Amino acid sequence: MTFKKYEGSTFQLLSEVVSKAMEMASINSREIDGLLFTIIPGTFDGKANVHFPSFQLSSFLGIKPKYIDVIDYGGPSALTMIYRAFKLIEAGEIETALCVVGGKGSFLRENRVTADSVDKFYNISLTPFDEFFRVYEDMNPVTDYALVAKRHGKLFGTTDEQRAMIAVNQRKNAMDNDKAIYKNPITVKDVLSSRMVSDPLRLLEIVYPVDGFHAFIVSKHQRNSNLRPIRIDFYGEAHWTEMPTEWKDIVYTPTVESSKGVNLEKIDAYELYDSFTITVLLEIEDIGLAEKGKGGKFVENTDTTYRGEIPINTGGGSLNVGQPAFMSGGVILEEALLQLNDMAKGHQVKGANRVLVNGIGGWNRGHAVTMVLEGE
Amino acid sequence: MFDKIKEEYLSLMEKEKLPYTKCKTCGYVFFYPRDFCPKCNSRDLEVKISEGKGKVFSFTKFQGKKGETIYGIVELIEGFRMYANIFGDVDIGDEVVVSFINDSGRKIPVFKKK
Repeated sequence: MTFKKYEGSTFQLLSEVVSKAMEMASINSREIDGLLFTIIPGTFDGKANVHFPSFQLSSFLGIKPKYIDVIDYGGPSALTMIYRAFKLIEAGEIETALCVVGGKGSFLRENRVTADSVDKFYNISLTPFDEFFRVYEDMNPVTDYALVAKRHGKLFGTTDEQRAMIAVNQRKNAMDNDKAIYKNPITVKDVLSSRMVSDPLRLLEIVYPVDGFHAFIVSKHQRNSNLRPIRIDFYGEAHWTEMPTEWKDIVYTPTVESSKGVNLEKIDAYELYDSFTITVLLEIEDIGLAEKGKGGKFVENTDTTYRGEIPINTGGGSLNVGQPAFMSGGVILEEALLQLNDMAKGHQVKGANRVLVNGIGGWNRGHAVTMVLEGE
Repeated sequence: MFDKIKEEYLSLMEKEKLPYTKCKTCGYVFFYPRDFCPKCNSRDLEVKISEGKGKVFSFTKFQGKKGETIYGIVELIEGFRMYANIFGDVDIGDEVVVSFINDSGRKIPVFKKK
């Protein structure tokens, strides 16, 4: 559930979302014996942090887990939670896990900071090198991704129009998604005439932070739920912990490594982390839908709408749904699960059986998770 | 060791010199201070002074607190890269030189078009 601005408290919002998830899964809170979650500073009612969140969340939700895990690398954390929950159930450690991602983005948004610049608002360290890195004026993560887009353009001739195509096609998908906050059709011209935020990235290429949570229940029990059993056909994660200036080049992401060995045959839909248009372009290349440098041509020549040959971000992605608490992982994972359950009302990919979900995030996109979900 | 390297960096910057670290085992050079080499894990490192000349690796312009601001990555001739603000009308590949500005009681390296 996402809102531009949720008027109640963060805990109230969490409560609403978790209740709904338990209802859908036909599970009650006493049955939940695993809790996995992620948390980002400033997203709980504007407080810098939540002390001992494992206690606070369990206490508030009335669950008594025998396993708790905090995954703290932002965007892709939601995907890792699902994977670990599957593994724990498979190993007989737990029977039912609750995975939670989200919070309120509106407080930081209104104070004009993001998860990547939260150190300018609270006394929080962002890197071990803040004295040599955080002394500059930036607008991260926008400026950081702008550096990538700029260099991608210079090295490979990728155009602003090509990146704009990603926003245009995702908007086409969003038009048929009830959950989208942006639904009016847009053209390449609209994208290119929207406000320049950080050259070359314009307003319509950048995600809007919202309030919201996603709760996923992974269980060995079907109970009375109508949801389809789903298995994880592929999982890979990679963490590039050096500063991006020390990577081979900034036009690559750790997805190159997390997606190694994935079979792209018979993938019915791709849900690719879309903090920015350039993020999607990089993933198209890094998972191997196009060679490095040819992502621009790929988006120009491919119908990526949900009716198209290679559907990408079938619900419009977080560019149109909004980014809850500065993390898009829940948005893309939810869309993948709706597709697999034939529940993507109005934008369903016919007979979707295998969906690839790719997350990128954490500080300066150092973390990536690639996952293929398949209906049984 | 980490604290010592950091102090050395800060004191060199006060003298308007741009420090970097070189691994004496494998020769790898890097800017962000650590007490181990990120390539070979050796702890045999030395802090060196850069000539301060490099090229723009990438950059972006945005409206900052004092108007149009450039944030970018510079690749120094010694082979390491760092984030910094850049002054002047630049493009990727343009030559830049280090310069120091006073900020919050410190001297901070920035780059200017050559």
